[in-house]
Amino acid sequence: MSGKLERGLNTLKAQIDAPMAAFFSSCVHCGVCAHACLFYTETGDPKYTPIYKLEPMRRVWQQEYSFWGKLARALGLSKPVTDQELADWEELVYDSCTLCGRCSLVCPVGNDITYMIRRMREGMVAAGHAPKGLKQVTVRTVEIGSPMGITPETLRKQAAHAEQDAGLPVPLDVAGADYLLLLSANETMVFTDTLPALTRIFHQAGVSWTLSSEAYEATNAGIQIGSSDIAAELVQRIVSAAEKLKVKYVISPECGHAYTALRWEGPNLIGRPYPFEVIHVAELLDQLRAEGRLKLDSRETGRLSFHDPCQMVRRGGVIEQPRRLLDQVAEDFVEMPDAGIHNWCCGGGGGVSANERAVPLRRRAFHRKKEQLDGLQLTTLVTSCANCRDMLEDGLEYYDMDIEVKGLADLLAEHLAESEPGAQGGEQS
Amino acid sequence: MADNETLGEQLRRQGISRRSFLKFCAATTSLMALPPTMVSAVAAALEKARRPSVIWLSFQECTGCTESLTRSHSPTLESLIFGAISLDYHHTLQACAGHFAEHLRTEVIDKHPGEYLVLVDGSIPTRDDGVYSTIAGMTNVQILEETAAQAAAVIAVGTCAAFGGLPHADPNPTGAVPVSDIITDKPIINVSGCPPIPTVITGVLAHYLTFGGIPELDELGRPLMFYGDSIHDRCYRRPFYDKGLFAKTFDDAGARDGWCLYELGCKGPTTHNACATVKWNEGTSFPIESGHPCLGCSEPDFWDAGSFYNPLSAPIGDSSDWAAPAIAAGAAAGAALGLYGRRHKADAEARREPLTARDLEDKS
Repeated sequence: MSGKLERGLNTLKAQIDAPMAAFFSSCVHCGVCAHACLFYTETGDPKYTPIYKLEPMRRVWQQEYSFWGKLARALGLSKPVTDQELADWEELVYDSCTLCGRCSLVCPVGNDITYMIRRMREGMVAAGHAPKGLKQVTVRTVEIGSPMGITPETLRKQAAHAEQDAGLPVPLDVAGADYLLLLSANETMVFTDTLPALTRIFHQAGVSWTLSSEAYEATNAGIQIGSSDIAAELVQRIVSAAEKLKVKYVISPECGHAYTALRWEGPNLIGRPYPFEVIHVAELLDQLRAEGRLKLDSRETGRLSFHDPCQMVRRGGVIEQPRRLLDQVAEDFVEMPDAGIHNWCCGGGGGVSANERAVPLRRRAFHRKKEQLDGLQLTTLVTSCANCRDMLEDGLEYYDMDIEVKGLADLLAEHLAESEPGAQGGEQS
Repeated sequence: MADNETLGEQLRRQGISRRSFLKFCAATTSLMALPPTMVSAVAAALEKARRPSVIWLSFQECTGCTESLTRSHSPTLESLIFGAISLDYHHTLQACAGHFAEHLRTEVIDKHPGEYLVLVDGSIPTRDDGVYSTIAGMTNVQILEETAAQAAAVIAVGTCAAFGGLPHADPNPTGAVPVSDIITDKPIINVSGCPPIPTVITGVLAHYLTFGGIPELDELGRPLMFYGDSIHDRCYRRPFYDKGLFAKTFDDAGARDGWCLYELGCKGPTTHNACATVKWNEGTSFPIESGHPCLGCSEPDFWDAGSFYNPLSAPIGDSSDWAAPAIAAGAAAGAALGLYGRRHKADAEARREPLTARDLEDKS
């Protein structure tokens, strides 16, 4: 047994906790999860059945922790998991799973299959079987600070651009601000309208906020590749910066898995509670709306719909906030079929977008999204996750669909009333 | 007795109008779950059907099945259909007795081999050479074997004939068995129920007359058109079940408001029959509609399935003497395995090396 395989199998063993054991022994092989998975529905290939993606780990569980499995192994009736098997499963565990959580939602016995895949990835990456693209992204995030290799210097430059665009100061490293804003790499480098948009909205609402040059990256490649060690290190950077600046809140930006990483997994990863609260930017904007601090004075005339990012609706419960916000600016809003908690993934979550090998499969799976959108006659598709936005743009182009994709904050900022800063006065310090 | 008169000719002779005949055909067609376009086909087939001879054998039974068929209906077309077959032998209904009655039975066998139908109600005793029920000096097994040998098909009417029923219940002193245990080389249609719904009995006969064959059957040999759905799936109280609203006693507010009777022992979820749709007494109601849980009478061994008033989820039988030690032993074994598993996992955790970015660079 090679060192890497042993390390991987040992990690799988360590990852099997009470829920994992209960899930494996509860599975009734009904196959409902297959029909919840867009990689199965769009290909019809049974190997994409979510629970089957866990087969090597199930065997580890059976052989290591179940009576009959141990007996069978002792009698030589069941063979240990091999390195080749793990290599074969790499595509199933990484390319064809976006951790979207739809299978967990429909499982009639309540198995959280997403949780299981997340744990299986721990063993896969330890055994060296993670996609090359995802590995590179992870290395860049750990060593440089961002999956796109954004350095603090780059951030400063982008912040300066945003100041010019918004005509307003972009606070950086301001101790004592209420909110620390994080950005996803996509927002820093590609969707560069988002930072000026938020700057203007926060200015009008009188939000006291800041960026940090030590923790600006919200995405967490450790969560995607499945390494709790690396994920914890990345979360710790944010926690340290937030504690240093003494903020009350950390804003998780328009990025799905960043929210999962920071809000739900983070405290468990670093092993202690945060001294601050994590809030998704859509939650904050909706709060500002409810308090009357978000003043909008025009409406979007074209037809709009909202693509729910999986991590926000299924794993995070942020469902109504973006709809209430869109209600403020949309004249013609339509829901796509299965919208909300059952929405279909863009196909690029959970690290799939960083995996070049997965591009053809991901585009094939995007056919599901195409079907959801066909017939709606949309002008604009709004979403609240920069990665979804990237994937939607790619998929719509691939299927030759003429729909504009926009971020939620970007859209709101376009309709912001040109009024005085909020009555709360808090011109950022 | 059986002659060459068709059903249509006989109905006209008895003064039944074409209109009422077609009404019956429409009802029968929908009862058999056939599309409405089939009504004319059913009418045409029935009109031309020759009256087959029918031998009705009664074994270990209570005559409830016959009662169901005869008493629950005022003269309707269903009973005429029954008249339209040639019922040549039936203990309760035949006028003659003694040797002459038995002669009629053998005459049918001799005159119409391979054409007549045998309807059986009651189970067949087999213990002690079947002495527990004899007719005209023959045991039930002998009569059944002799009569069924030349039959076109056998219809087991009622749960006793279909599955053994009450006589078959533990401890089964007479060694009672269903028809299907004795007759293995003929098509058998099980029309179960204690008793079966009268329109279901006539419906199966109508199907036989119309299509000249046996209908599609479920795994217990029951016609799917009547036994395809569970009582539960077609129950008008089902919405209360789905909402979790259950009557707890027979006189609480829930019972008065018509809530689900599951917790009072309703066997509807495991019982397949047409009661909830066809209903009883000319479509008046069915047991659940009268406030009583379903007993599950159309299912095998319903008499041995614990109390009628225990919910389905309650265990059958007394477990008090072995359950406690078994639970304790199971818990101890589980705890031991759990401790072992935990140590195994702790061991794996201790040996785990943290993953760093360097590990990822090695191979890429």
